[in-house]
Amino acid sequence: MGEGPQAGAPRLPVLIVGGGPVGLSLGALLARYGIASRVIEADAAYCQGSRAICISRRSQEILGWVGADRPLNAKGLPWTGGRSYFRNQEVLHFTMPTEPTERFAPMVNIQQYFVEEYVHRAQDRHPGLCTVTWSTRAVATRPMADSVEVDIEGADGRRETLSAQWVVACDGARSAVRDHLGLSLEGTQYDGRYVIVDIEQESSRPVERLAWFDPPSNPGSTVLMHRQPDNVWRVDYQIRDGEDPVEAVRPDQVLPRVQSHLDMIGETAPWKPLWISAYGAKCLSLRSYRHGRVLFAGDAAHLVPIFGVRGLNSGLDDVGNLAWKLALVVDGASSDDLLDTYSSERVHATRENIAYAAKSTEFMAPPNFAFELMRQATLRLACVDPRVQSLINPRQSSQISYPVALPGVGFPGSDGGAALRPGEPAPEARVRTADDRTHLTQYFGGGFTALYFSDTGSIPVAATQLTLSSRQTVASLTTVRVARNGGTDAATVVDFMGEAWHRYGARDGTLYLVRPDGYVLACWSQPDWQAVAVVLGGILKRQALPNLRLQEGSGS
Amino acid sequence: MTDQDLDRCYTALSDALAAVGEEKASLLLATLSLSLIVKESDAKIVLDLIAQAGELART
Ligand SMILES: Cc1cc2nc3c(=O)[nH]c(=O)nc-3n(C[C@H](O)[C@H](O)[C@H](O)COP(=O)(O)OP(=O)(O)OC[C@H]3O[C@@H](n4cnc5c(N)ncnc54)[C@H](O)[C@@H]3O)c2cc1C
Repeated sequence: MGEGPQAGAPRLPVLIVGGGPVGLSLGALLARYGIASRVIEADAAYCQGSRAICISRRSQEILGWVGADRPLNAKGLPWTGGRSYFRNQEVLHFTMPTEPTERFAPMVNIQQYFVEEYVHRAQDRHPGLCTVTWSTRAVATRPMADSVEVDIEGADGRRETLSAQWVVACDGARSAVRDHLGLSLEGTQYDGRYVIVDIEQESSRPVERLAWFDPPSNPGSTVLMHRQPDNVWRVDYQIRDGEDPVEAVRPDQVLPRVQSHLDMIGETAPWKPLWISAYGAKCLSLRSYRHGRVLFAGDAAHLVPIFGVRGLNSGLDDVGNLAWKLALVVDGASSDDLLDTYSSERVHATRENIAYAAKSTEFMAPPNFAFELMRQATLRLACVDPRVQSLINPRQSSQISYPVALPGVGFPGSDGGAALRPGEPAPEARVRTADDRTHLTQYFGGGFTALYFSDTGSIPVAATQLTLSSRQTVASLTTVRVARNGGTDAATVVDFMGEAWHRYGARDGTLYLVRPDGYVLACWSQPDWQAVAVVLGGILKRQALPNLRLQEGSGS
Repeated sequence: MTDQDLDRCYTALSDALAAVGEEKASLLLATLSLSLIVKESDAKIVLDLIAQAGELART
């Protein structure tokens, strides 16, 4: 053991073990909420290799709260669909749901190390709140009565003990913290293995997901291709049954297969390999993502097959769910039971993600002769009968609904009556505002938001901007009136295309209360401001309640 | 049939094939084909589909 925590030294509110995209994003979002954290990262720098390259619309929204969406969208390559081929014939052309008025593309391709860099830089927006210590690993984790001790070891071998109120393990698939607590992932692992190759090559092809089944270039195999920024192609292909996975990543094995495929699709510019790796599909999860004062997020908590790109994207959703809850608990505004809802909601999301991803995997890497036979039949029939093409669709990641608004919290007065159920994601809409915001979801990610759909009504108790605690931004309520016409002001947006009223199924007077992570918490067919206070009071501790008076705001 | 229903049937059939094993798989498929055939009143449709499946199996 190393030096003990210094006597009288203030305990860290939050220690984040692992500075991958999930750990860095959590640190940045906590900083936005005014909560100090320290990130311990074993490596000396951002990750090697492009790794997770497809960032979903939902992840872009969360990275927007972090403050990393601008560089992400300036660098990344947006895309909306893809094509699949059986041998040389196109058997599927799919597009993901998208509207020209949308804030973000359904998917953006970018190397993972850029995401890590942008998120890390975004932490500087809140100076002094998040520090990242590189080349330092957690070597022991000891849960104590009201804190957690973590022994860390620097590159020079020097050890030190840190004490934190909360530890969040974001230390990836081989999580050390998971081992320290004697926990293990449960689930299934598939046999099929894929090789990943990044190559640099100029190309003028549109950005799409491209898949070939049994291509003449690599008979019997499946090849996937994605464009990345800086003229990089990601090429994935399935290795043959019985092929040695170690041999399979040797350049002399890999490069001829890539060359053969580039020849086949007519990409003739000179190219060079950048990175070669391999992966197998796994459906694994911890049973709970909360163990006392230790929480798990990202790959440390769950591993999902990458078909449908739910790996990193689900980790970022963990961050969106956890950050506001942890901020409220650290700040003393909510009881720590709120963190149990992080676990139950995200375990539910993992189950859904695994169900979808397992389906994709059964098609992309058939686990037995039966799925292989059915795929052979489907691909052939798809050439002549488009009705079976949907079976080839890769089922890309989409935002998961939760079963209820927030487990264990009562919602008196929430009479529903609108199109959306509590627990569902609050939809996007293009709106006109008095500032530089262009979309409704730009109001989310800070505190709680009330959306009051009304053309004429003023906000009766004018809860335009209510701060429930002086210290941070999560314990706050912002009310926005969504009008169909008229002018904008600080508390009024205009739904000039009718998207918001339509997607929220609103009638004049409909009131929605939205969680900081953009999920519907409650809705009323007529505004009931006292009920809003009661719902928020159910989430915030009783002592926070006296502040909870919906007074006259200044905006309207 | 909706895409979701098609998807469910695809998985159910795959699982049923895996459960009986490779040796009995063609028996299961033949039985299932006959069951679906007797639901179709138009023999021409069935005969065309048999011909089509025969062609595709050669590719
Ligand atoms: C080779 C490879 C290829 C991949 N390709 C894809 C892909 O194509 N598409 C896709 O969706 N996903 C892919 N993934 C998965 C994707 O990278 C992960 O889902 C994503 O990185 C998860 O983020 P994370 O922050 O949870 O974990 P990680 O990115 O793994 O970050 C964990 C961090 O914790 C650090 N760490 C570990 N142990 C300790 C310790 N004891 N103390 C301190 N720090 C520690 C690690 O150094 C690492 O930086 C790939 C992963 C790998 C490894």
